[in-house]
Amino acid sequence: MSRSSAAMTVVIGFEGSANKIGIGIIRDGEVLSNPRRTYITPPGQGFMPSDTARHHRAVILTVLKEALEQAGLKPADIDCVAYTKGPGMGAPLVTVALVARTVAQLWGKPLLGVNHCIGHIEMGRLITKANNPTVLYVSGGNTQVIAYSERRYRIFGETIDIAVGNCLDRFARVIKISNDPSPGYNIEQMAKKGSQYVELPYTVKGMDVSFSGILSYIEETVFSMLVEITERAMAHCGSQEVLIVGGVGCNLRLQEMMGVMCQERGAKLFATDERFCIDNGAMIAQAGWEMFRSGQVTELEDSWITQRYRTDEVEVTWRD
Amino acid sequence: MSTDGETDHKTGKLEFSLDVPFPSSSEASIALRSLSPDREPRRGGISKRLTVTGNTLSVRWSADEARILRVSVNSFLDHLSLVLETMETFGPPVDSGI
Repeated sequence: MSRSSAAMTVVIGFEGSANKIGIGIIRDGEVLSNPRRTYITPPGQGFMPSDTARHHRAVILTVLKEALEQAGLKPADIDCVAYTKGPGMGAPLVTVALVARTVAQLWGKPLLGVNHCIGHIEMGRLITKANNPTVLYVSGGNTQVIAYSERRYRIFGETIDIAVGNCLDRFARVIKISNDPSPGYNIEQMAKKGSQYVELPYTVKGMDVSFSGILSYIEETVFSMLVEITERAMAHCGSQEVLIVGGVGCNLRLQEMMGVMCQERGAKLFATDERFCIDNGAMIAQAGWEMFRSGQVTELEDSWITQRYRTDEVEVTWRD
Repeated sequence: MSTDGETDHKTGKLEFSLDVPFPSSSEASIALRSLSPDREPRRGGISKRLTVTGNTLSVRWSADEARILRVSVNSFLDHLSLVLETMETFGPPVDSGI
């Protein structure tokens, strides 16, 4: 008698809103596969939307086959196809959405458009088992402090201009640091060898931060700013947990500084490793799994991508 | 595929049409539903309409300038080729009766 898998829900997630293209498969909280490719530009150059879309276009079907093979699954085993609806760069978002829509129809499976930021949050919650943390979401494209309340991921504070990762990436470009594996990683390695702290403009306005005026910064200053606004949100919500998600969350110095603040408050710090804090397909699958299980589906006519998509626009039907 | 471009002298707009044959009408519909949801990146000066008749996907553009038309048609053909390659790799559709 074969084991019944009636209770199990398998979701495949497609992510490609920036320079990473990832496709991941999740079955009831287990990551079955999560292959990913990164479009790396030469030192001194950032990545442009049409080139990034071309990169994703060239590899996406290969990555999809890998995701299925590594999970040991056939399309019939999938229950739902999740993809990133936004936010992000238009051309790469469209490239990925086209494949997701097509396979959803070929395989006869429902489609789910996922908010990229919520993908990060749900993956962080799954991996770390944090209960109801204040979330710091920091990446090349986004910088937000988020707390859950009454069916919304509320944005407590955010950057008033550019994302902290964008600031780090632009700095890396100016001094021509390699983009392999990522500019942020290479800044971190170089920063470890530094010993001189240089005082730079420190710009916090209440719950928000500004990074555009200080492109010649050092990690200490920007990370301190992020720790401050996270602490302020925690105080406001009476929260005893912090979860860091997004590519910049890989940075050990940021985790260390946040850890000091948490220890002082008797709070717990949660973070994931580079597999899950950097953009990946499984995080879209995980958010899709939550959404699908709570009864959400995206009709094809409504499956258009969008470059702007705020975290608090989504009704969080899967939490109380 | 057949295409033709001409200027509609009444409205002054450039009209461009494209017909893509598929092995079945269900596959033509799949392509239509994958390619139609996203809006044109450039809001003004270009519009397109996708329809399916029998086994054929038809696309009709209306544009103010040739330059804008070229960008949209170019982009559409790239997207179409991705959808076709996806259908070749992961098709045929499940309820195709095969």
